[in-house]
Amino acid sequence: MLALTLRVAAVATVCITPPAVALGYVLARRRFPGARLLSAAVGLPLVLPPTAVGFLLLDLLAIDGPLGRRTLGVDLDLLLTWKGAAVAAGVMSFPLVARTARVAFEAIDPRLEATARTLGDGRLRAFLRVALPLAAPGLVAGVVLGFTRAIGEFGATVIVAGNIPGETRTLASAIYTAQQTGDSSQGRWLIAVSVAIGLVAVWVSETLAPRPLSGAPGPPAERR
Amino acid sequence: MSRFEIDLVWRGGDEFALRVEIAADGPTLGVVGPSGAGKTSLLEVVAGLRRGASGTLRVDGETWIDAARRIELPAEARGVGWVPQEGLLFPHWSVRRNLLAGARRARRAGRDLPGDLAQVVELLEIGHLLRRSPRSLSGGERQRVALGRALCSAPRLLVLDEPFAALDLARRRRLLSFLLRARRRLKVPMLFVSHDPVEIETACDEIVVLDGGQVRALGPARQILRTLQRPGGGVETVFDARVVARDLVQLEPGGPELHVVGAPAAGAVVVGIRADDVLLATERPIGLSARNVHSARIESISPHGMVELRLEGAASPLVAEVTSRAVAELGLEVGSEVLAIVKASALRLEPDVEASG
Repeated sequence: MLALTLRVAAVATVCITPPAVALGYVLARRRFPGARLLSAAVGLPLVLPPTAVGFLLLDLLAIDGPLGRRTLGVDLDLLLTWKGAAVAAGVMSFPLVARTARVAFEAIDPRLEATARTLGDGRLRAFLRVALPLAAPGLVAGVVLGFTRAIGEFGATVIVAGNIPGETRTLASAIYTAQQTGDSSQGRWLIAVSVAIGLVAVWVSETLAPRPLSGAPGPPAERR
Repeated sequence: MSRFEIDLVWRGGDEFALRVEIAADGPTLGVVGPSGAGKTSLLEVVAGLRRGASGTLRVDGETWIDAARRIELPAEARGVGWVPQEGLLFPHWSVRRNLLAGARRARRAGRDLPGDLAQVVELLEIGHLLRRSPRSLSGGERQRVALGRALCSAPRLLVLDEPFAALDLARRRRLLSFLLRARRRLKVPMLFVSHDPVEIETACDEIVVLDGGQVRALGPARQILRTLQRPGGGVETVFDARVVARDLVQLEPGGPELHVVGAPAAGAVVVGIRADDVLLATERPIGLSARNVHSARIESISPHGMVELRLEGAASPLVAEVTSRAVAELGLEVGSEVLAIVKASALRLEPDVEASG
């Protein structure tokens, strides 16, 4: 069960990290019409009840849904499987990773990338050589947060993937089951595991959270 | 002999229209003008960091912008060595790695990179800094490394955006000498923005004076620094000041107090003193109508009569312009104690928008 939980969370985190980081960068650097709307849409899973997200995912993945077997012609095999649990966990964690990434990139002076471009780096290379390493601590903190969120995800997961012992029962749903069946010793043990994982995650993200760089250049407004 | 030609119009927030062509052995174009004149836009358009200018830009026979033919090279394809005011060194790299940030371009250009690096390190005297982190450098060191980084990237044009403005006078002069040394040896064309008349006069062949996006004057450095004295132009030293009593302002905290005309009742102001409004005297005059007579020490004298003075108690220098005959007859030299005289009505006052928020 613990291995399954870690697998679900790891797959979810690995899949969402590249697009979430890319989106965080775009939101931090570009001004374009609809940026706010996009930002709000991405943040939605943070404010919706997780069960609502699970419900929407279920509609999306149902046989007749936009991502269902009849529409796509192939079965993604996500309903009531551990992969479905990973999708639900990924959707719930995405905003956390994207938002921390955005904050991490916003803390970096965009003129550093501009300088890299004058030195011959294209946009992508400037991003990889300057923005990404400078934002790395913040990005790692965001990924850790996202991973922990994925481990704890319950509402959306249980709707999409169910709570099948050995197949889709994750740490969170196991705690729920233990409580429902009155198995409090099992419940306490699972909670102890959760607390341990949570403490490590918080410690890691606190350690890596973006700090103002000493000697960082002042804001552009200081220029005469 | 290399040349660059600029014929650009930019219609953005901070507009400018500029047409200039200069050719020389390592030609340097100085850009001066008040804040908001369009200098920074000009540099960013030239560097490729702002897109959408119309007109043409050619550097050394290569077209960077030709709006009519829809040519606009991206920043990374231009070969600009950019030296901004704050240096903008990459904080996650050592000084050495910063210097090599443009190595790929230098290699493609067929430069002998180790040779260039060694030469730049020697020229700028930064050998002892190579392993350091940029965060541990002083302002002057940082600017030297920023200049070195630009020079090591095989630049076709150096773009200097008030590179020494954040430094004190002594460091500024020292860095200026590094810059001149680099220019003599490496012969890279330069576009140089500065507020400092002495820097501009020493470093630049040609000067363009921008004001409100328009070219106010353009021509050889010496000639322009003279013609600048017509009304509306002029080398002017600007001080932050505060009104301390009726028509009395204090330049900088703890600095000298000057009589002015028509000051606001209180608050922060900017005081502009034109170089040709400052008289120098070696003895305290008697029966004089001018209200402001202050002791000062001469910090530098340029061959064309630009004298930098330090008023007693002032943190930054005041530029005065006198004829070279006056310099000779009064026996003025660096370190001389003189009296600087300015009429109260000659001081230009503006409310300090930045300080009052």
